[in-house]
Amino acid sequence: MNAWKADLRLLFRAPLSAGALLLLLIVTALSVAAGLAATARQEAIIERVEAAQRRDLASVTRDYGKPDGDAGNAAYYTFHLTTDPPSPLAFAALGQRDVQPYVLRVRLLGLQSQLYESETLNPELALPGAFDFAFVLIYLAPLVIIALMHDLVSGEREAGRLRLLVSLPASGRGVWVRRSVLRYLLVLGALLVPLVMGAAISRAPVAGTFAIALAAALYVAFWLGLALLVAARGRSSAANGATLIGCWIVLTLLAPALANAVLSRAIPVAKGIDLTLAQRERVHRAWDIPKEETFRPFFVKHPEWRDTPPVLGRFHWKWYYAMHEVGDDGVAAEVADYRQSLTAREVWTARLGWVLPAAAVQTILHRAADSDLLAHLAYQGSIERFHTRLRDFYYPYMFHERPFQQADFEQMPRYQPRPSSASLPISPMIGLLVLAALVSGAAVTGVRTLSSSAARE
Amino acid sequence: MSFRSTKVLRVAAEEWRALVRNRVAMIASLTLTALIVTSAILGMEQRNATKAARARYQATSDEAFDAQPDRHPHRMVHYGQFVFRPLSALAFFDPGVDGFTGNTVFLEGHRQNSANFSEARQSSLLLRFGQLTPAFVLQTLAPLLIVFLAFGAVSREREQGTLRLLLAQGLRPSELAAGKLSAYVGVVAAIAAPALLVLAAAALAGQAPPVPSLLMVSGYLVYLSIWAVAALLVSLLVRRARDALIVLVAAWMGVVILAPRILPELAVARIPTPTRIETDVAIHHALKQIGDSHNPDDPYFSEFKAKTLAQYGVEKVEDLPVQWAGLVGMEGERLTSGLFDRYAREAFAREAEQNRLVRQFGVISPLIAVRQLSMSLAATDTESHQDFLEQVERHRYHFVQALNLLQVTKIPNRNAGADPRISAAHWKTLPSFTYREPNVLQLAGDRIRANLLILVCWLAALLAGCGLAARRLGEVAR
Repeated sequence: MNAWKADLRLLFRAPLSAGALLLLLIVTALSVAAGLAATARQEAIIERVEAAQRRDLASVTRDYGKPDGDAGNAAYYTFHLTTDPPSPLAFAALGQRDVQPYVLRVRLLGLQSQLYESETLNPELALPGAFDFAFVLIYLAPLVIIALMHDLVSGEREAGRLRLLVSLPASGRGVWVRRSVLRYLLVLGALLVPLVMGAAISRAPVAGTFAIALAAALYVAFWLGLALLVAARGRSSAANGATLIGCWIVLTLLAPALANAVLSRAIPVAKGIDLTLAQRERVHRAWDIPKEETFRPFFVKHPEWRDTPPVLGRFHWKWYYAMHEVGDDGVAAEVADYRQSLTAREVWTARLGWVLPAAAVQTILHRAADSDLLAHLAYQGSIERFHTRLRDFYYPYMFHERPFQQADFEQMPRYQPRPSSASLPISPMIGLLVLAALVSGAAVTGVRTLSSSAARE
Repeated sequence: MSFRSTKVLRVAAEEWRALVRNRVAMIASLTLTALIVTSAILGMEQRNATKAARARYQATSDEAFDAQPDRHPHRMVHYGQFVFRPLSALAFFDPGVDGFTGNTVFLEGHRQNSANFSEARQSSLLLRFGQLTPAFVLQTLAPLLIVFLAFGAVSREREQGTLRLLLAQGLRPSELAAGKLSAYVGVVAAIAAPALLVLAAAALAGQAPPVPSLLMVSGYLVYLSIWAVAALLVSLLVRRARDALIVLVAAWMGVVILAPRILPELAVARIPTPTRIETDVAIHHALKQIGDSHNPDDPYFSEFKAKTLAQYGVEKVEDLPVQWAGLVGMEGERLTSGLFDRYAREAFAREAEQNRLVRQFGVISPLIAVRQLSMSLAATDTESHQDFLEQVERHRYHFVQALNLLQVTKIPNRNAGADPRISAAHWKTLPSFTYREPNVLQLAGDRIRANLLILVCWLAALLAGCGLAARRLGEVAR
């Protein structure tokens, strides 16, 4: 135990090590605070929008909630608010929540022309990416490890203590392991203490927090193993530092950027525009074709309305909304295609986690925090289901020609935020585990040969 | 050549020889060169593909518009037009915010739709690691390479004891500093050379505007020089090479990685923006305050009616020679568009305020200054996007009003029948959107000047610092 204490004292006596650890602790705490502030802001925005929505709904109710009110008018002028509040773990990994809308209003009209609407966004602020725990873990933690580890062996050699150190009987053998484990625990502590405090504040689920902590532990282990491996090769401190910074650039800046460039070319997603254009054609063509042609596919899907009176005049609300629904259904294949290619980008990023630890951590954290592209697709899916509920609500009024009165406004379906789609992605976690184990194993072997060769020196 | 400058050149040549002998330095430099060239070629290919795709979409969408059958003009107001933002020529070098803004806007009557389908919304989170572009390489990676090449310029000589030797042999500290400086000016030139050649080639081939390209090159040269001179300064000041490296890498981290991410947090926390939904509700509310065209007793529209009747010298709307509903539609569009403009201006002003807050810190982070400069020159900054949105909105207004005017003049005011339509030939007479690329020197002249000035001030201050540090070096050696 004495040797551990002595090494701890040594570590904190070096200004670089102590400073780097303290800095990591402060920056992590700041990032957790910034993440909590960001999620609190998003919740406040949702509340603000809900207030605005209540005002708007009240005015629509006043205008269209007449005793002889028409459901078609009510459906046309009533916007229904959907919201996607941040998950309790979103503070740790804000993900795409800065570019994806988390409030969206929909009407009974065609959903595909409403679903991709974007929110007010200042692109210049989104450009550099969020300052959250995920950022500190992925980018900054490796740099701190490099600062702590690059002179682990070479520092001793340069100070002339190396031979003495490895020839010590009991405590000397395990010196590198002891010092590495010490650094590992300190780095992990500086990361996890603020994280766990943040999780406690936002009442995050234990399993998700544990998954993030596990990913952090493996990621730190990977970098520590890599640093030890380089340190054990027995070159100078400066050369080790340069090599490790090179690894850091490649693994956290270059390779992911390159992979993104490849992915965005390999899986193009222009289909979003295609489906919007196609949906518009279908909806507007309906004005120029006989109404039966619109109703034919509609009645196949909704046999319950087949026996209602046919539309004879130029306009009837039930025809209008049927035409919008048929327009949506007509592009169902394109929609599936579009989502497929979006999901494919996500899946390939997760697969990348087998070779790129940064990509693995990115995937795990954001999946656990439910703030990635898949989370947004889940939100869109829930809007779609809500839209179906809206149709089921409004159609009986229109097809049975029932008046839509003030009281009916209160019966309108309300959107309930979707349940969290967070999951624990096993494959990148295993990938990370394998990478960390491989590198650490190689590092231990490297240290062993180093110790024996240093003893022979 | 004077004796003095020979000595400076000797020092520079020695430094170069040491660098060339350093295998790691050579590999890193060659990798960086390869990266710049590859990313430029990929960027150019990507830009051309994106440009072609958007042009193709624009053409098909315009053709679809012209091919619509006979209709009531108001149906066409809602059939609407799609507009695709063409990419600027220099977007291959610095795509700026292009990946984060939607590039597709749907235009229709009485609505201002957002720009949709941005790359960031459709990509996995890999995009957030940064896009591999020449701008990314020059802004983020090149400074780190320079730091690694230059951190030991003086401190290593000091560590190895050669510094004392050199000074004892009569080399003046200022000559030593000048020599090292010339060596690293050469390094900066070598690192920037591929980018410079790419831009020059693009400009000569007519693929990039010459003056912005030239300014872009100058901006990056100054930016990279800042890092070289900063590295030299730290190397002059710090006792051990290792400490110099730590100081410089820490500075790089703070300036290039941390500051750009923390500052936006500050900006959104300080200057909140209303959501689109709140704006929509507010516009809707404001419209109701002005008047309701469906309400016969509404004061605003009664006055509009009286004015219109007087203008045509008739008693009742049925006697108007033009279609009354169309006139009301035009007036309504005028009102809504006025409100859209007002709210859009407010939103732009708020965005500008947020960005100003971040850009002010260009004074402490040259990265922010050079990033801004580069995006402005490439016409891929927020202001260029706003310029596009303004052009789009102007077009939307004209196009919708042209259709409304067709309704006013071509649809009979009375007894038009149940389903009045006008000939499809009219659709071809409507203007399609043509994007006028902004002249960046006019649109962003102030910002370009300000950011260049910040960068030059940084360089000058660091050079002055080097001068002082060199003088101190002489005192220490004595």
